[in-house]
Amino acid sequence: MKEKIKQFLIELCCVYALVSVFGAVVNILAGTETNNANVLIMFATCAIATFVLYLHNLFNKVSPLLMMLLQYIIACVLVGLMLFTLSVLIEPISPRGWFEYYRSFTIPYIILAGFYYYRVFKETREQDKMIREIQEHSHDL
Amino acid sequence: MKLNLYEDKNMTDEHVDVYYSNMRPVISQLIDTVNSERTTLSGRPADEDLDDGDEIMLDPGEIYYLDHIDRKLYAYTADGVYRIMNTLASCEELLWNYGFVRVSKSNLINIFKIRQLKPDVNMKVYASFDNGERICINRSYKKSFNDYLLKMRRISK
Repeated sequence: MKEKIKQFLIELCCVYALVSVFGAVVNILAGTETNNANVLIMFATCAIATFVLYLHNLFNKVSPLLMMLLQYIIACVLVGLMLFTLSVLIEPISPRGWFEYYRSFTIPYIILAGFYYYRVFKETREQDKMIREIQEHSHDL
Repeated sequence: MKLNLYEDKNMTDEHVDVYYSNMRPVISQLIDTVNSERTTLSGRPADEDLDDGDEIMLDPGEIYYLDHIDRKLYAYTADGVYRIMNTLASCEELLWNYGFVRVSKSNLINIFKIRQLKPDVNMKVYASFDNGERICINRSYKKSFNDYLLKMRRISK
């Protein structure tokens, strides 16, 4: 358990570092600035995403598609809790704010899911090709 | 592979010479055969009681896959299903050279019998066999399955 937590924190640090650098580059190019609240929200989002991805071992018995849907639902619930907490503690979030946040969260998720889908098909094709090759070589006997 | 057979009725010292470029699984299998150590599994038809029926020697090349159900191990062949008295782990070790690889907690499949490897719409990957059956390649065994194929391809060349 301790090892898992350590691994989770290392991955979270890596993800957050990458997202921060990417965000900083976007800010420089767009000439915009961020604030402390946004930095904290970004960190919380990274923590939720890393945690949700970390759960994939729990869904070994279900299909990858169902796993992705379940992970998305869990992520939505956690994001909802985060936004609700922020809404209560800092300032109320408008419906537009909720919509924008979910949209900016869903689009990369769909892109990554599509990439995963493509990779599964590509890897399977390559493995099938490898099996053909092994079978052909065995016929030499 | 070229095969030369020489018949000599007067020969007293029968022998086999094997010339090979590298020790591929087929070469290991040949050696096993010559040494009379070719791996076979003994099984009884699954639909008979364990005490009834003759024990049948199964050649690994005949087996499509092994399935572990309710603490019992079954071998699926073109002729039928046979109950095997080994454990799945021992079969995994024993049949490594014969193209058998673990793809889930309860399945060991023979890659030489796979007709096609194909993912479903739900992204589960299935191995289809000549007998029309399909076995799912579990996600947690994906890497070891791929490593096995790479290793087999490398050594079978």
